Amino acid sequence: MTASPVFAPFRAVASAVRLAFRNLLQDRLRFALSVVGVGLSLMLILFLIGLRAGALRSAVVYLDNAPGSVGVFPPGTKSTSAGSAQFLAPETASAVASTPGVARVTPILLTLGLADLHGKKEVIKLIGYDAALGGGPWSLKQGREPVADDEVVLDRVLAGRHGLRVGDTFEIGGRRPTIVGLSSETSSWTGSYVFALRTFVEAVVLAPGGASFLLVTPEPGTRISELSARLQTLEGANVVLKGEVMANDREAVAGIFDRVLLLMVGAAFIVGALVVGMVIYTATNERRAEYGILKAIGAPGGVLYRVVASQAVVAASIGAVLGVGFAYGMGWLVMAARPQFMVIIEPTSIAVALAAGFVMALAGALFPARAVARLEPAEVFRR
Amino acid sequence: MDNLGLQVERVTKRFGSGDTEVVAVRDVSLVVNPGEVVLIMGPSGSGKTTLLLMLGALLKPTEGSITLDGLELSAMSERKLPDVRLRHFGFIFQDFNLLSALNVLDNVAFPAELTGVSRRTAREKATAVLTELGLGHRLRFPPDKLSGGEKQRVAIARALINDPTLILADEPTANLDSSHGHETMRLLREITQKRSRSVVIVSHDARIKDIADRVLWLEDGQFMKAIEMATDPICGMAVEREGAVAGVREGETYYFCAKGCRDEFLAS
Repeated sequence: MTASPVFAPFRAVASAVRLAFRNLLQDRLRFALSVVGVGLSLMLILFLIGLRAGALRSAVVYLDNAPGSVGVFPPGTKSTSAGSAQFLAPETASAVASTPGVARVTPILLTLGLADLHGKKEVIKLIGYDAALGGGPWSLKQGREPVADDEVVLDRVLAGRHGLRVGDTFEIGGRRPTIVGLSSETSSWTGSYVFALRTFVEAVVLAPGGASFLLVTPEPGTRISELSARLQTLEGANVVLKGEVMANDREAVAGIFDRVLLLMVGAAFIVGALVVGMVIYTATNERRAEYGILKAIGAPGGVLYRVVASQAVVAASIGAVLGVGFAYGMGWLVMAARPQFMVIIEPTSIAVALAAGFVMALAGALFPARAVARLEPAEVFRR
Repeated sequence: MDNLGLQVERVTKRFGSGDTEVVAVRDVSLVVNPGEVVLIMGPSGSGKTTLLLMLGALLKPTEGSITLDGLELSAMSERKLPDVRLRHFGFIFQDFNLLSALNVLDNVAFPAELTGVSRRTAREKATAVLTELGLGHRLRFPPDKLSGGEKQRVAIARALINDPTLILADEPTANLDSSHGHETMRLLREITQKRSRSVVIVSHDARIKDIADRVLWLEDGQFMKAIEMATDPICGMAVEREGAVAGVREGETYYFCAKGCRDEFLAS
């Protein structure tokens, strides 16, 4: 019997993997439990990452849909996340509008506020805009945009939670506007969007003619860098590209989220690794004698490690695929029950979860592999 | 003396040192020729298992040398020993020690696959060995569905799959009833003699003395006496040469269980 030296190592690996599969499948219940355990851990990781992605998306959804590519903010302000503490004077808007290369200026008055909805306070992001210049709701599902001061468009999810319909009224800032439209894609756990004419919001924040920021649309052919440089010379204007504002807004949300998220993802990862490790360790320990036999009959250490590691990788891989499915299911359930929470599972997150599953497998296989390495083949003779 | 077979020269194994030193095997020498079956007997703690471990390259002797087919095992590095064990030794254990997750065929084919042969070749070879051992109808069975005798025959097939020079068996009949134990050992003897492979058996079971060419008695780590075995050419019974009825024909000495057999032989 001769063995081709070229294929010999691959064949030995294939044999080890086959044995690993058989070992795993021998106790199907334990295998199923380990796969589900890994799946749930990865689901938690993916779900948390998805929740973060949803929160980041919510943080910039307004700017992403608003016109313009350059933002003009009051000095010291470079994001929309905290609402407005300062306002731009009406003269600044006029100066910006008369700057060469500017096609359109969209003044926005944004404030965070509390709306009284059926006796329950809800945080809202109140957007004041000029109907003629844009910056209002981009996806109206019902009704129309406001045309009068006492009219608002309310986020559909927020309205649904409180049983509000078009034609109903609610209290905000001591006023009682009528809901004339319901918008979608405007829901967020940090506060849903409510759209009103700028004059209405001016009255709420007591800033007549003021704007939280201006969104500038350049004329066709105008270089944004050149336009920014020109706008930067205006007194009392802090010019930030819209992309940068969005990045700042995302960063502000990530700052709230990331530390807690990292802890939870870390915990989920450790739980997953422990599940894999425990399962593989007990499975290895139960077969201690068999591994001893393999060592005694001449199986090299590498083959035994591969058997142990393959078991872990197989369990973690199947668990990872299951985890992706669980995460989609969980995301769907959460968004159905609490639409203000957006869960976005991106391909990169899936790649991260699969990689995490692989690392979990290797971490989980570490101790069992060490146990096998320390095994004395002579033990099988000494009973 | 050529280099074939197993040669053990003045092997000693000590465990511990100083006051706690234990000499498990003391200055043992042994030659096992190709095709020879040697049975090592002795009381518990006599050093049988330690000697077997050293013969199987699983334990290094403190002194002396062990050579198999010209390879000095006692001088080899630990890294090389697994491959030597895989290709030159077959092991048979008291508890059969089959891999529970694999069926009979895969249990036997696995050591062949470890040498790098294709799965198909390994399975073909395993099928042939198992069929020779009367297990052709049990190839797909899981080990736990086999009787003790069948399990031990699978273990023998596994020990033979890589065509080893030496088969080492540790108490191979301990978990078998007397008839199955004896039958299995006869089968082992037959098949190894056909292939001219050597067998060293360590056992307490005196009932298998008749399948051995030689029986060695180990006590306190030393061989006390060697019992040369012979087969009565008339009735086929295994007899100890010492004390048996002997008869000489054409210059060769034969051993018999009784005078009747000798007389019948010499008259024929």
